Amino acid sequence: MASVVLENISKSFGSLDIMKGVDLSIADGEFCVFVGPSGCGKSTLLRMISGLETASAGRILIDGADVTGAEPSKRGIAMVFQSYALYPHLTVRENIGFGLSLAKRPKAEIEEKVKRTAETLQLGHLLDRKPKALSGGQRQRVAIGRAIIRDPKVFLFDEPLSNLDASLRSQMRMELTDLHAKLGTTMIYVTHDQVEAMTMADKIVVLNGGRIEQVGSPMELYDNPATPFVAGFIGSPKMNLYEGEVARREGCRVYGIRPEHVLITQSEGKWRGTVRHIERLGAETIVHVAVPELVTLTIRCSGEQVVGMGDEVNAEPVKGREHKFD
Amino acid sequence: MASPKSPYPYWFVLPAAVVFSVLFLVPTLASFWFSLTRWDLFSAQFIGLENYRQFFREPFLVQGLVNTLIYAVLTSGVKTVLGLLLAVLLTSGIWGQGVLRTVIFFPVLVSTIGVGITFSVLMHPTRGLINVVLATIGLHGPAWLTDPELALYSIVIVDVWKGIGLATVIYIAGLASISPEYYEAARIDGATRTQLFFRVTVPLVKPATVTVVTLSLISGLRSFDLIWAMTRGGPGFSSDVLASVIYKQYQAGFYGLSTAGNVILFALIAALILPLTAWFNRKEIEA
Amino acid sequence: MMSRRQLYTGIAALIAAIIIFIVPFLFIFLTAVKDKQDASLLTFTLPVNWQLWQNVVEVASARNYMLLLAYFNSSVITVAAVTLIIIFGAMVGYILQRRPSPWNKLIYACVFLGLMVPPAVVPTIWVLQWFGLFKTITGMVFIQVAYGLAFAILLFRSFIATIPRDLDEAAIIDGAKPLQIFFKVILPLLKPVTVTVIVVQSITIFNDFTNPLYYLPGKENVTVQLTLYNFQTQFQTQFNLLFMNILLVTIPPLIVFVFFNRQIVAGMTAGAVKG
Repeated sequence: MASVVLENISKSFGSLDIMKGVDLSIADGEFCVFVGPSGCGKSTLLRMISGLETASAGRILIDGADVTGAEPSKRGIAMVFQSYALYPHLTVRENIGFGLSLAKRPKAEIEEKVKRTAETLQLGHLLDRKPKALSGGQRQRVAIGRAIIRDPKVFLFDEPLSNLDASLRSQMRMELTDLHAKLGTTMIYVTHDQVEAMTMADKIVVLNGGRIEQVGSPMELYDNPATPFVAGFIGSPKMNLYEGEVARREGCRVYGIRPEHVLITQSEGKWRGTVRHIERLGAETIVHVAVPELVTLTIRCSGEQVVGMGDEVNAEPVKGREHKFD
Repeated sequence: MASPKSPYPYWFVLPAAVVFSVLFLVPTLASFWFSLTRWDLFSAQFIGLENYRQFFREPFLVQGLVNTLIYAVLTSGVKTVLGLLLAVLLTSGIWGQGVLRTVIFFPVLVSTIGVGITFSVLMHPTRGLINVVLATIGLHGPAWLTDPELALYSIVIVDVWKGIGLATVIYIAGLASISPEYYEAARIDGATRTQLFFRVTVPLVKPATVTVVTLSLISGLRSFDLIWAMTRGGPGFSSDVLASVIYKQYQAGFYGLSTAGNVILFALIAALILPLTAWFNRKEIEA
Repeated sequence: MMSRRQLYTGIAALIAAIIIFIVPFLFIFLTAVKDKQDASLLTFTLPVNWQLWQNVVEVASARNYMLLLAYFNSSVITVAAVTLIIIFGAMVGYILQRRPSPWNKLIYACVFLGLMVPPAVVPTIWVLQWFGLFKTITGMVFIQVAYGLAFAILLFRSFIATIPRDLDEAAIIDGAKPLQIFFKVILPLLKPVTVTVIVVQSITIFNDFTNPLYYLPGKENVTVQLTLYNFQTQFQTQFNLLFMNILLVTIPPLIVFVFFNRQIVAGMTAGAVKG
């Protein structure tokens, strides 16, 4: 259990700077998610915290101690890889106990700890199997087990659910959140999936092009995105974002309104347009309306709403939910 | 991930590097110097290019050089052509092709000295099995290993006998990588079997060809065991090759001359293999 | 479904193969089990007296059981050399694959040289003498290692490419030091290639005649192929014993071939197709 602090972190490869002056503070026990598109630097940041990559400049502190130059195994961290990285030639028991056997701990101690960890994750009956005889979800749990047994101060997850199919993914999301609740350890989790970020995080760090765009709780990011990038990244379907003439009229550089914050009205509203596309999802309906000055306006409404292709509709933004970015 | 303390430390290369440098690189480099000396392992007297002049002057040394080339080109040529033909035969679905592949490959693994001794017995001009069998069908078998004109070529035959299996197996692997679609497309275009062979098989099996030619040429140029076992370079020196010359000069104590032979062999291999490899690679880029 | 032509061609090919490839081996075997007189006739006939066991004993006990000593020496050299080739070669292949650097070009050049260049024999003897390793088993082991590394490095390098890097990283996080990563994670996963290298190199070293001829002269450290060569004069009139010697020298690779056919062929065609 520990806090993680990044001070003025920079990373460059040769003459190419991919990250500069990143500051971040993660509190003890927080579930912090790094999220962003491919290549934004989230994995690099995670790997720098783990020690697998070194920062070109800056300091990293875990639990108050400066670990910037320390080896990964001495930082009090444990990592779960995207591919799980289970040792194929070792059994589940040996995989989980690998770190302890490297440290030459007595056999009885290793056996005891492995058993306990395995039971926590319902792996007790699989201890003598090899990874190739396990399902995706079981392998995931072995990877987590290997991390737990280290009793780390910080857990690091590098897109651990990307290799699972959709149904397994939502189940594992819940298991991970439960795990966090049970252990209370600080967890840093990297993903490109904003749904994972929103549902699991205490604090979200949105990264783009090597820079932190915003840090905040899921609802903070949803209600008050600091930049158009964050606004468009969080929330599905994406927020409607407009530049140019439309934004100028509103007195800003970029004007945004979420599809769920646009109401279809009977009377005249701010906008008027023709329905070009309808996606009926059952409980809700996504309507794409061609509005002359906006080009397209996406509206999310209840499934009950009566609307058809080619209809002329009036639309009005919910007060207080419009976003104006400079 | 080459951070200050990389998990892939350079010193991992050291053990291999030390053994290789000391026992291979150093002698090779030293050979250039020692080939220019009269040497008895304890003292070396610089004599310039005299050793090389001897090589191109003395008939028994020149013969070795010439024989080496003949031997290498013949064995390599036959193995390349015959290997491909056999590979085609052994992948065409004939009865017992699996057994045939094993039978033809077995000589590759067997002791060369053993093969040499066996065939020198079989090739005995009067009592050897080969000539005895030929006699029963009315043919007078030649003096395989005792006729100076013939000795080298007899050894070539045995070399091919022993090595054809490897060439064939390499070609079989190469043939397996040719997608059947090429043949199907060509057949639809009306190609005959010969055309299929020359227009589809031969070009597409090129990586294997390169390997077979290179390997057989190098081993042909360096060949020693078989020749030594069968004729010791004789009769006289009619079947001497560079490798046997090197040994004979070493036995006689002419270390400088022997080493010069090594350098010549090295130069020969480099002169043949490097352009060949470059030519093969260039053609690949063009293709 | 095989066509008539495929069947007949197959039978014809098999007959030809028998005559060309099998008859010589049968000749070896038949002559090896004959008595002295019968063998000296050099005919392709069944033995008048089957002397399999007697001939084995006589060959094995010749010159103070030199053959048995040779087997022992050859085995020691093979086992020691192959072990070192695997460890040293895998380490180089590992660095080559995992750590791209300008040095790699130098390593590849050396590998290429190692495969192509004929060893300079007299200078090598000179170096061996310098270390006091000439005419010793230890010296022979290191020679075989030096000559066998190139092939092994190539094989290991291309196989290591299939081991994902995150295994290395997971081990680092678990606290493994570089040597531990190599021996506890990487090397066990190299088993298929290791088997191939063991099999191919063992046969090569066992069958090696030239190198022991140069670097291990003398009868204390004789190897299997050398005995065959030495006994040629001794058994000049005893063809049965000569061929029994050949048979005994031929058997080990045959046994290995029977069990490791696939690995041998795979090892020897490695790289042939990738071009």
